[in-house]
Amino acid sequence: MSDVARDPQAGIRPAPKPSSMTTEFWEGAKQGKLMLQYCRDSGKFQFYPRPVSIYTGKRNLEWREASGRGSVYTYTVTHRGPAPFRGIAPYVIVTVDLDEGVRMMSNLVNCEPEDVRVGLRVRVAWTATGEHQFPVFEPDR
Amino acid sequence: MRDREIAIVGYSETKIELKSGRSVFDLAGEAMAGVLEQTGLDRSDIDGLAMSASFSDAGNPFQGPMMAGYLGLELDWTQTTDMGGGSVTGNVARASAAIRAGLCETVLVLASDAESTENKGNVGLWRTEWQFPVGTMGPPGYFGLLSTRYREQFGLDDRALAKLAVTQRNHALLNPLACDKLRKPMTAEDYLGSPMISTPIRMLDCVMVCDGANAVLVTSTRRARELRLEKMVHPVGYGERLNFDEGNPTPDITLGGHSVAGPKALAQAGLTPKDIQMFHPYDDFLIAIVMQFEHIGFCARGQGCRFVMDTDLRYTGTLPLNTGGGQISAGQAGLAGGGHNLVEAVRQLFGEAGDRQVKNATNALVTGIGWIPYARNWAANTALVLEAA
Repeated sequence: MSDVARDPQAGIRPAPKPSSMTTEFWEGAKQGKLMLQYCRDSGKFQFYPRPVSIYTGKRNLEWREASGRGSVYTYTVTHRGPAPFRGIAPYVIVTVDLDEGVRMMSNLVNCEPEDVRVGLRVRVAWTATGEHQFPVFEPDR
Repeated sequence: MRDREIAIVGYSETKIELKSGRSVFDLAGEAMAGVLEQTGLDRSDIDGLAMSASFSDAGNPFQGPMMAGYLGLELDWTQTTDMGGGSVTGNVARASAAIRAGLCETVLVLASDAESTENKGNVGLWRTEWQFPVGTMGPPGYFGLLSTRYREQFGLDDRALAKLAVTQRNHALLNPLACDKLRKPMTAEDYLGSPMISTPIRMLDCVMVCDGANAVLVTSTRRARELRLEKMVHPVGYGERLNFDEGNPTPDITLGGHSVAGPKALAQAGLTPKDIQMFHPYDDFLIAIVMQFEHIGFCARGQGCRFVMDTDLRYTGTLPLNTGGGQISAGQAGLAGGGHNLVEAVRQLFGEAGDRQVKNATNALVTGIGWIPYARNWAANTALVLEAA
């Protein structure tokens, strides 16, 4: 597996637009912490952030820092992306099952497209997009 | 529904065009006029309107009333359904329910979109927050994720996908309303050699977004007889599932809501998949057809590609598939595209499909797919069984 720094989308990702439901996530991201909503009633995490628990429909939620580690559930290598990703080298979109039991969609960086596999162990990395730090993943070697 | 108290008595579809320059209202007017001409009914016979939300007129929170105004309709009931490609089949069920409830008698189920001319869609929140930065803005990325996972679990036979592409293309060649840009012969090699968009999705796996409108007219069978309408088909089974397995944060995305909606529709109709004589599934990507065969129960999970290889899906075959070309080879009329496959099924059951007429078919299964949620299988699933009168 390659060790080269690889992120064809670096610097061109559109900045995320946070909502009132996600302030804690982006505050944590600034400190390199992957924050997840946790349902106190069911003892389970959820992602993306929502106004209620997807398990109970109630609002007994708190934010907890996640390990940032997980494995690739599925992936696609995008050769022809939409704007602003037109014309760049192929980039890798993954969904990652975090060890906390939630699935996130992001990019796999620092990995050649031919080396990505379902089940690949990955860890979160952070990349600047506008004023925010956006979570991407890299192989967890 | 099995009581046959509800009838679809007419259908209409515009030519599917790329960048027509027309508005949703203009296209919709053509579709309504077409169904009035076909049935011989008066505009005043329509007292209900079930519309599909469009990309072209997105942002207008009064799409239905404004449409009714443009069409000169005075109504007792209206609603606009926003399940994307599931809206039209969903609206047949909603119209049936409204008629049974006595809210109205005759409903125009109308879908119109000119997405390739103008797209005012603006879906924010998690899309702009978590999806746009990643570069999955278009559906090909999502279907790439779905396909990779499917391939991992079951294997994916490119020959089966090629067969679907070619079968539907050959049907589009026989459909004068299909988009002209797509009415060109295609071979399996053309499919296999088409450029990779987002692995393993090729260019020819995808729909092309176009403009177009379609309509069906739904009324009670009693009313249809009063109006002396000769041709009709009956919706005899319907199933719908939004957000399959939503409480599971790490679902198996090779499973989906058609595994609930499909069997429900068939059970209502008193049929099994073996009884279905024509299949008109929603097709935004070829893999969606493979998965629907499995979810609905035409074959076991993971056997979709083998089922495709073993089944004659031509209009002359044992299970005719999307005989109008499907959206992939006729063009996707934006969010009105879910009506293309429905109209084709009705047209076939009326015996009016011309050069591509299926012989002796007395029923059809039509499905809808709409809205792609975050990192999951598609969200809206509809299945509608039609029977000839």
